[in-house]
Amino acid sequence: MTVSVTRQHSPAAPGARPRPALRRLRPAGRRSIRLLGRTLSVLVILLWSLFPLYWALNTSLTTLSGAESRPAHLVPAPFSIASYQQLLGVTGSQSGFASQFGRSLLNAVIESGGAMVLTIVIAVLGAYAFARMEFLFKRTIFVSVLATLLLPAYATLLPLYRIMSSLHLVNTYLAVILVYTSGFLPLATWLLFNYFSSVPKSLEEAAFVDGASWLRTLVSIVIPVALPGIAAAAIITFLLGWAQFLFPLVLTSDLSSQPVTVVVAALNGQRIVPFTLLMACGVLTAAVPGIVAIVLNRFIISGVTSGAVK
Amino acid sequence: MTVVQAGAGRRRARHGHLLPWMLVAPLVLFIALLSLYPTAATTVESFFRVSPLDPPTRFNGLANYRALFANSAVTTSWVNTVVYAAVGVVASTILGIAGAVALKRRFRFRGIILALVILPWALPAVDEAVIWNWMYDPNYGVVNSVLHSLHLIGGYHVYLGLDRWLTVVLIEVVQVWQMTPLSFLIILAALQSISPDLYEAAQVDGASAWRMFRRVTLPLIRPAIAVAAVQSLVLSFNVFDQVYVLNGKAPLGSSLMLQTYLTTFQNLDFGGGYALSLLVTLATVLLSAGVIVLIYRKPVAT
Repeated sequence: MTVSVTRQHSPAAPGARPRPALRRLRPAGRRSIRLLGRTLSVLVILLWSLFPLYWALNTSLTTLSGAESRPAHLVPAPFSIASYQQLLGVTGSQSGFASQFGRSLLNAVIESGGAMVLTIVIAVLGAYAFARMEFLFKRTIFVSVLATLLLPAYATLLPLYRIMSSLHLVNTYLAVILVYTSGFLPLATWLLFNYFSSVPKSLEEAAFVDGASWLRTLVSIVIPVALPGIAAAAIITFLLGWAQFLFPLVLTSDLSSQPVTVVVAALNGQRIVPFTLLMACGVLTAAVPGIVAIVLNRFIISGVTSGAVK
Repeated sequence: MTVVQAGAGRRRARHGHLLPWMLVAPLVLFIALLSLYPTAATTVESFFRVSPLDPPTRFNGLANYRALFANSAVTTSWVNTVVYAAVGVVASTILGIAGAVALKRRFRFRGIILALVILPWALPAVDEAVIWNWMYDPNYGVVNSVLHSLHLIGGYHVYLGLDRWLTVVLIEVVQVWQMTPLSFLIILAALQSISPDLYEAAQVDGASAWRMFRRVTLPLIRPAIAVAAVQSLVLSFNVFDQVYVLNGKAPLGSSLMLQTYLTTFQNLDFGGGYALSLLVTLATVLLSAGVIVLIYRKPVAT
């Protein structure tokens, strides 16, 4: 839609001098070279982004001897879904393993889902107040909340562990959810503040004039209008929660609350779990955020860029 | 009558006054109790001797800090972390700019390609590190297989854990792979907001593609590059997951975050962990400020 289009349609535009090497080519030739260049760069970008993921899938879909061939097979040969059957508990040989993995997936769903819900509820209320109301110390509070975005995990990790340990919350969902929420709130508040600020006030004012309470206005007018922004914040929060490793590594020590990232790292560290099974774990763990990212990528892209560029 | 009205009016006013506070209260509580208080605790306790197995806790002055500077594993992880961060910022920013320039124009399937390109960012770093660990495998890894098939190496090699800088760089490749989509998206958004008129004007003046990039594009996306670079800097300065999986607990490729974890939870020296945490927090904040100033203030190269 930009310059390239006008140039392609009017190759003889004055001033658009072709480079010497391309001078003898007709416009169609130049166009196809540009198309070739773009196709090649897209292929390189896709190869870089997707090859490791393809490789995990490839290894997970073959037998151990297939995975350990030299040179490596670029497609799964022989094809086998035995690793997935083991992981999902279809074959009994490693059923203990399957129940461990299943439990850790469930833990991850509860922890990242719980943190997402709590974060969004708290951030919607706060961001709405920051975007629409005037109150004492508003600026100070807003800046203090956002400033914690700059704090690296180092700053809070140890005291948070000691707080949770003194409250006897180590190894509980609650500890993990509370810690995630405190970490995700600044970003979610910032994303939602931006979104609320971009929504016109006129609808709300009309509702207030009609005598609606603030809660009713928020629930039936503001939230529906801001739904894309809320969805973006919720998805990003969920993905962040799903990817957490250091905090759950410190806050959980057994399967009652260990999320899948901690369990996968532990299996990898044992050095005895076959790579085919390890890659199947990797693929299943990545499937949840992977599907979310592909299906809902519009929300993610808008959320990430609005949070960063403004 | 008047009294009742005045009462109702005051009640409404007070309600209006309290409402914003009620709305921000949960947020403020979370941030104060689970973010600001822990940061303050880290600062204060870094001057104390804190060891759960050997109480009591008592004031220690600068002893924790002196012990850190005398510990060679800590020094190693400082130097490694500087290399992690330098490689991470430079590589992910350059790749992010290149990718954004390549995918700036609209074409068929661009939406699907953007969705696929952000996948490495969306997946857990631990998962990705486990996958790359298998790709780097000395016996059956695909890196060995491909390099050998291309006759670039004579036999299969061990990549991780032997040579310090090779280990650090290869681990950082895994993190760059994950961070680049974010830099890419931030820079792409800035690229797309540049008015096409600017390029048309430059083209009329006979500017080459490279000259247009240097003189038109780069100055306009400089703020976005600063944001992307700071994000990468903070992430790579805090690198933990990839190092935990690919390096293990060995000092060879250890990062500061891993060293903090080991000091605290393996050696149970909480005071030392606090001191290290505080130093690294200060370094992160100073470095971020430095990058922002550098990129915003640097005059446009001619």
